[in-house]
Amino acid sequence: MRVAIAEDSVLLREGVAQLLTDAGIEVTARCGTADELLVRVAEDPPDAVIVDIRLPPTHTDEGMRAALTMRREYPDVGVLVLSQYVEVGLAMRLLADSAEGVGYLLKDRVSEVKEFIAALRRVADGGSALDPTIVSTMLKRHRSSDPLDALTPREREVLELMATGASNAGIADAMVITQRAAEKYVSTVFTKLGIPATGSESRRVLAVLLFLRS
Amino acid sequence: MAAVLPLFPEQHRAAPKPALLWILGLAGVASCAVTAGLASVNEELYQPALRVLLVSWITIPFVFAGIVAWRRRPDSAFGPLMILAGFTTQLSILQWTNQPVLNTIGQLCDLLVAAIWLHVFLAYPTGRLAGRAERAVVIIGYIAAVGLQVVILMLGGFNDRHLLTVANRQTAAEVVQNVQLLTLSALALIGVVLLWRRWRALPRWQRRRPAQIVINCFSLSLVMLAALLIAGAFQLPGFEIIRLATFATAGLAPLAFLAGLLDARLAKAGVSELLVQLRASPAPDLQELLAQALRDPTLSLIYWLPQYGSWADQNGNPTALPAPDSGRRVTVVEQHGEQIAALVYDATLGEEPELVEAVSAAAAIALENGRLEAELRARLQELHGSRTRVVEAEQNERRRLERDLHDGAQQRLVALALELGLLAEQTGSDPATQTRLKRARSEVAESLSELRDIAHGLHPAVVSGHGLAVALESLVAATPLDIHLTTDGLPRLSEPLEVAAYYVVSESLTNAAKHAHATRVTVDVGVIDGTLVAEIVDDGIGGADSERGTGLRGLADRVEALNGRLRIWTAAGKGTRVRAELPCG
Repeated sequence: MRVAIAEDSVLLREGVAQLLTDAGIEVTARCGTADELLVRVAEDPPDAVIVDIRLPPTHTDEGMRAALTMRREYPDVGVLVLSQYVEVGLAMRLLADSAEGVGYLLKDRVSEVKEFIAALRRVADGGSALDPTIVSTMLKRHRSSDPLDALTPREREVLELMATGASNAGIADAMVITQRAAEKYVSTVFTKLGIPATGSESRRVLAVLLFLRS
Repeated sequence: MAAVLPLFPEQHRAAPKPALLWILGLAGVASCAVTAGLASVNEELYQPALRVLLVSWITIPFVFAGIVAWRRRPDSAFGPLMILAGFTTQLSILQWTNQPVLNTIGQLCDLLVAAIWLHVFLAYPTGRLAGRAERAVVIIGYIAAVGLQVVILMLGGFNDRHLLTVANRQTAAEVVQNVQLLTLSALALIGVVLLWRRWRALPRWQRRRPAQIVINCFSLSLVMLAALLIAGAFQLPGFEIIRLATFATAGLAPLAFLAGLLDARLAKAGVSELLVQLRASPAPDLQELLAQALRDPTLSLIYWLPQYGSWADQNGNPTALPAPDSGRRVTVVEQHGEQIAALVYDATLGEEPELVEAVSAAAAIALENGRLEAELRARLQELHGSRTRVVEAEQNERRRLERDLHDGAQQRLVALALELGLLAEQTGSDPATQTRLKRARSEVAESLSELRDIAHGLHPAVVSGHGLAVALESLVAATPLDIHLTTDGLPRLSEPLEVAAYYVVSESLTNAAKHAHATRVTVDVGVIDGTLVAEIVDDGIGGADSERGTGLRGLADRVEALNGRLRIWTAAGKGTRVRAELPCG
């Protein structure tokens, strides 16, 4: 797998590059700005990019805009956005059209090396990776006559895992159950929430998010 | 009692001493007596009594109008010029004597009076000749009146009692005399044109009635003078009658001028009307009343604010006194020895200082009130400005701290977490080390989480980075309430506005969740007619008040610092409605 990085903190940029190299991933570009990233991607398109949301010169939304540009102009390149804070509003913008080949994680997640690499691979392969805090934040919202109240704790856990972009196998791994059992949980959750069962894993990420937001 | 000081930008001239004016007045009367004496001993004189009367009729009004003008307007050269004109008329009388020197002087000054009238009329009202044309006319006038007179006398013109005759060339003398008379009459007519040109150039409001009478009278005198000179040149039969009429008219000119001065005093009668209006309720617009009383629509009223050491207009905005050459004049109004206000008006009003003085004195009490009001407004503006600055400074400081945290401690901790993660990968499966590494990583994660909360509390970076709509969506998602958010069509606005609106919603939601025990909330944020409106309505227990909650009080400060308005409707059991309106046009 080939990955380009855009991160203005040298310490972090080199750390992530080291992490990727150790995992046998080729780092094609190490960029300090969003513009540089777009130039390097145009020269040599990677399988995925890792973008810090705050990049020079203004450190406001440069990274975000670069990510949206990537999504529009290079639909085959996975985009993993990293940030010191995750915002539901930004997740909704990032996933506005589809959750395919996109990820949005807290920067902290890089320390969970295996999970981070797995998320990156998922994004590069057209899947999704959404930070668990986004889903847990949205689940905290109280609704009157909430269909979520009908879920058992295990089903809630499945819902949260689905929202992060986990596959059925991933859900099975995380919950230490069989893949078959995981599939059963997923269909039960969909039925209880009234969400039409969808094909791909990234589509169900979007479906769950939209349900939670409504 | 209020004192009024004219603060003329140009140099002051000292008022003439009363003794001098008395002497001049007596000299004027005495010169008429001398004239009468001269006439009585001259047997050749035609109609001596009438001539004496005519000369006195010119001299006395000119001298006395000049004295009054000089005393009233020491700054204007017009008074002294009129006095001079009065006495010049007397000089020509010396030709009635047979004493050779005096007779010569008298003959020399025979037509000087024509030139000096031209000078006086064209120098109205300042005493100075304003334009190049005026100066040329007056200079040529003096040359023709005196210079050509010398030539005529040298050629043996007029009679043989003077001392200048060098040749006896009567015909040549007559030719020169005709040239002289026609030149002077032409100059007189040009003078009329110049007077009217100046009058037309004045703005309409300055064409006051007394000035118009003066100009009319001066013009008529010049026309009569031209007619007299032409009659003299062509030896027309009605010469004596024209002379009579000319002198009669010319004597009226200073009287018209005196009437103008008197009118300035009469205008003070309008002051009593002003006093009545000043007592009207509600308080009238002082500046407008003064402008009316002084008949100067350009008048502006400014106040002295001692605390600020500066002048300010009626709204408390700082302002400066006009520059000396700006065509404006200033009269400072004092009370108890301190300046309280100033009238800034057109320089032509300087011709009527008594009126300005009377009007300012009448308005002094009202001016004091007006000044207090201007001071209050200035203080309010200052207060508002300082609150805006405090809020801005706080905002900037918070943003700077958030940025420092983000670029510093947070980045380093993430790098540390990454390092620990890599270490855990490489350390192998020694359980004790793995356990300690795991603990270290969770400590770092905890620190990062705390730092994130602190950073977010300092400054909602998502607002400046991604706009109010995105930030509010996140905020609503993170609030454990059933919230209906509408931000349709909300554009990006300036950072202070977006941050203020964010805090209004954020604080209201916190209040709704923590204190009001609300379950449902609607949040509407949008721009209506150039105003950013944020309205938050909950179904809680109500009873929030801005004095109790420092949070809400702080919000009001924040909103008002941006010229906005924060209103809170809250009644026990009826929920709470918070509405912030922030101008963003």
